[in-house]
Amino acid sequence: MARLLRSPRFWLAAGTALALAALPLWMSGYVLGVLTIAYYFGVFAMSWDLLFGYAGEVNFGPTFLIGLGAYVSGMLNAYTPVPMWFCIFIGAFAAVIGGALLALPALRLRGPYFGLVTLVAVLILQQVIVIFAGVTGGEIGLAVPDVLSVRTDPNYYYALGFMLISAAVLLGFARSPIGLILEATGQDRVAAEALGFNVTKHKLLAFCVSAFFSGLAGALMIFYLGTASVGTVVDISVAVQIIIAAVLGGRRTIIGAALGAIFLIVAGEYLRPIGELSNFAVAALALVVLMFVPDGFLGYLMRRRAR
Amino acid sequence: MRTLLEILVDGFVISALYSLGAAGFTIIFGVSGVLNLAHGGIMVIAAMVAWLVAGRLGLGPYWGALGGVGAALVTAYVTYFAVVRPIARSRRIPEVEKEIFVLTATLLWGIMIQEALAYVFTSNPVAVPRLVDGITRVLGVSTPTNELVIGVAAWLVIGLLWLFVTRTRLGKAVLAASINPRGLALLGFDLERIQWFVWGVYGLLAGIAGVLVGTFLGASSGEIGGLTASAFSIVVLGGLGSVPGSLVAAYIIGFVETVTAYLVSPSLRNLPALIILVLILYVRPQGLFGRR
Amino acid sequence: MSVLQVEGLGKSFGGLRAVDALGFEVGRCEILGLIGPNGSGKSTTMALVMGVHRPDQGSIRLDGEEIAGQSTHRIARRGLGIVFQHSRPLRRQTVLENIELALMPDRISSLLLRRSLADRARAIAGRVGLGSVLERTPDALTYADLRRLELAKAIALGTHALLLDEPFAGLTASELREFSRLIASLRDEGRAIVLVDHNVKGVRALVDRMLVMHAGRKIAEGAPDAVIADPQVRAVYLGGALDVHHVPTARPAQHEAEALLEVRGMTVHYGKARALHEVSLKVQPGEFVAVVGLNGAGKSTLFNALSGFVPYAGEVRWRGGLQRPGGEGAPARDGLVHCPESRELFGDMTVAENLQLGGHRLAPPELEAQLAWLFDLFPILQERRRQTARTLSGGEQQMLAIARALMMRPSLLILDEPTLGLAPVIIDHISAAMETLRKDAGLTVLLGEQNVTFAVRHAERIYLLENGETTWSGGAAAFIDEVGERYL
Repeated sequence: MARLLRSPRFWLAAGTALALAALPLWMSGYVLGVLTIAYYFGVFAMSWDLLFGYAGEVNFGPTFLIGLGAYVSGMLNAYTPVPMWFCIFIGAFAAVIGGALLALPALRLRGPYFGLVTLVAVLILQQVIVIFAGVTGGEIGLAVPDVLSVRTDPNYYYALGFMLISAAVLLGFARSPIGLILEATGQDRVAAEALGFNVTKHKLLAFCVSAFFSGLAGALMIFYLGTASVGTVVDISVAVQIIIAAVLGGRRTIIGAALGAIFLIVAGEYLRPIGELSNFAVAALALVVLMFVPDGFLGYLMRRRAR
Repeated sequence: MRTLLEILVDGFVISALYSLGAAGFTIIFGVSGVLNLAHGGIMVIAAMVAWLVAGRLGLGPYWGALGGVGAALVTAYVTYFAVVRPIARSRRIPEVEKEIFVLTATLLWGIMIQEALAYVFTSNPVAVPRLVDGITRVLGVSTPTNELVIGVAAWLVIGLLWLFVTRTRLGKAVLAASINPRGLALLGFDLERIQWFVWGVYGLLAGIAGVLVGTFLGASSGEIGGLTASAFSIVVLGGLGSVPGSLVAAYIIGFVETVTAYLVSPSLRNLPALIILVLILYVRPQGLFGRR
Repeated sequence: MSVLQVEGLGKSFGGLRAVDALGFEVGRCEILGLIGPNGSGKSTTMALVMGVHRPDQGSIRLDGEEIAGQSTHRIARRGLGIVFQHSRPLRRQTVLENIELALMPDRISSLLLRRSLADRARAIAGRVGLGSVLERTPDALTYADLRRLELAKAIALGTHALLLDEPFAGLTASELREFSRLIASLRDEGRAIVLVDHNVKGVRALVDRMLVMHAGRKIAEGAPDAVIADPQVRAVYLGGALDVHHVPTARPAQHEAEALLEVRGMTVHYGKARALHEVSLKVQPGEFVAVVGLNGAGKSTLFNALSGFVPYAGEVRWRGGLQRPGGEGAPARDGLVHCPESRELFGDMTVAENLQLGGHRLAPPELEAQLAWLFDLFPILQERRRQTARTLSGGEQQMLAIARALMMRPSLLILDEPTLGLAPVIIDHISAAMETLRKDAGLTVLLGEQNVTFAVRHAERIYLLENGETTWSGGAAAFIDEVGERYL
């Protein structure tokens, strides 16, 4: 604990958190709304980075987990008298269960094949939602009766608080001994096994932690938006945005992913006037970063400081 | 009965078209080791350019088709030189992660193509002008002649490919490269040149497939994902790196999709193929004929 | 009581019997050397003991408890550690953190326990000689230190049984001695150690007992000196009795004639491991030169460097001109053709197609003529010319590989281990073909072999390669006199 208080990075982070918390004092409702979405995206991206950067598994379909969390909690809220906060947490656990069912057989597969399975899982989920449009609202979406709050400021604080807590937990997890074991299993499976670690168990754990936060974030976000739709929580384009955010920010840094997500959402708003070309530009930027600065923005900074 | 015949004809044609794209896809994997997630993008670019040249520029369907195939060729080469090769040669990316990086990079590149097309052409589907007009009766079913022409054309191309790979020196070298690149290098072949060539063949195959699909089902930027997903399911089912495998699998997937489109719903045509893909990956990842 | 007990172990992969009826025991304070040529089943045996594969038959007992077929991590937790042939540290973590990782239990509750590990890790690091580099990351370590780290990780688990896979590969002579002392001290602390290696001479002094494997079976076991003198063992390694009578006479030294191939001071590193060190050799036109050495000595590295697949330092002159390192197909196009140990055939293509690919630079009439000549040399290939290469027997595949290389009309043919795993009858056939090629076609050959008998039968001059260095060179007759018995 004492070491933490002495670290300059800690004070930098604390300062940033305070600054963000103070934003509602002078920013417009519009800006706060954009940032609220950005913070939820930050959690999406951080959970993704835990899986990719540490466990070494590329998940092309994070929106499978997000969508599960969102839709399960949304449908519970819409069709049953279960209170909102219970719905949200049940949604998160649904994401964990769904994630575990997907991952357990898939973890036997090599990297690219695992990625393929996750990609296909999203496509299948999308189709299933469309098939059962009667219950799920299909392409139009599902309106949820409850919301976190009707006013902008509380919504902003919910999102910010959630992101900060998630960042602390995920970062703590990644830096802990368990995180070290996870990194070992991700880097070299056989070597980790020879050291006595049950690789499958650890990767599954990572997947479940990632699923929990993704599902929780997904559920919270739809109770902010008021609707759950394929386009916001399931679509491949959302999944790609998450991957881009983590790549840009810096894989294997957790915080970098959150920064990347915030940058992406905010930049997206600025570029909105050019329409589809903004998506093109962002994908192009991510490709360039992937190829020439594979450690991402934060990763690059950290490597320079380490020299 | 009528529907069954329609399914047979449609399924046959779409499978033939899929087999073109899948053959190219699997050769690329065998020779370059790349799973190209931008595959659908290359096909749709071909269709869009064909529509542009034929319709907007008014040069007619045949010039359109040529233009489309040319566009696919260019895109395939850009994919190789600007995306795949730089990563393979990169010193910044650790060797063990290159496979995943290339996969992610082709995914991003595919997204770029999709968004660029959506911007330029909007996401509304376009109908590429048919090569041949008119209706023919086949097995008692009224079928657009174009569809039959497409089926024949696809078979012709596959036949040419087979002849090329089994009868010509260069073709055999390409086949050998997809089996054992190192063996080929030991015999003094220049693998760089082989890659050059193979990506060109891939561009041609994907381009022809894309243009023909465009005349048959129409094309739009929104279809890109589905086309890539179908190609994936086919090559994995057939066995990555096996050309005969992907040909057989193309017919399985093609018919499954057609049956779904007719008997269940057109918007769900991709679903069974996806389920098959997941099952294959879990149960028998090397596919029907795969070696690796 | 023995620590590790193996009985009746058997494993097949498809049609190949990799390990057959193998049994051995290792007790406390004992080192068992498991040796054998390539393909003898040593690595499979290690993999079976470690839980990477499940045995088809037999039992493996650790401290009296059955571990056969269990998962690797559970076997590791029971006290069996392994040091892999290639170092596999965590790249981003320091030496200290790497060892701490090895000390962690496999429980989720280990989320909380970091503190006490650092001291224990330091102690282990000191034990293996890494005390001064604790804060460095693996990329800043020397090769020998990387190997020490692997050893530290293996003993950190509190293991009392150790499997060492080729522990001396890539080390210099002095590093080898130091490592030997370290391993001996680990044994003296009470451990049971199984050491796998090709390098018989290197491990001779270190091990307490030796077990020799060949084609999946045990062929000898006992004290090192007795095992090395065992005639069956010598047959397996040397390929038979060294017969002085059939040795070709070395040609008088032709200093005036320009050497076809000249290598000066070639050095190759794989990452930090030293594979070749200052190797020099010369091949005159029309000569038959052999590079003799056990597996792991560096023959394949040398050949891969010559044919452009591996970068090297040093000088190579081909036909007088300086060769540029790298460029995988270039030397072959220039007449320097490499037929590797792995043969690299196109399994799904026919014999004829494989050969035609070899002759891809010939005009059709020349191609036909060359094919006819080769079919004459290897009639069995003509018989099987429409069969796919995959369906041929081992000997036929080797003949096909040689024939395919010959289709390129090489000025120099590099042949890497052509007799490996072949029956004596087939070896004779290949021998006869080699003789014909030399007499009629005047082919220049650079042969790499661990089968000394075969090498001595054909080569005029021999280079002995040991641990990446040339330790002897001279005529074949002189080889038999001076080295012969000392080879092992």
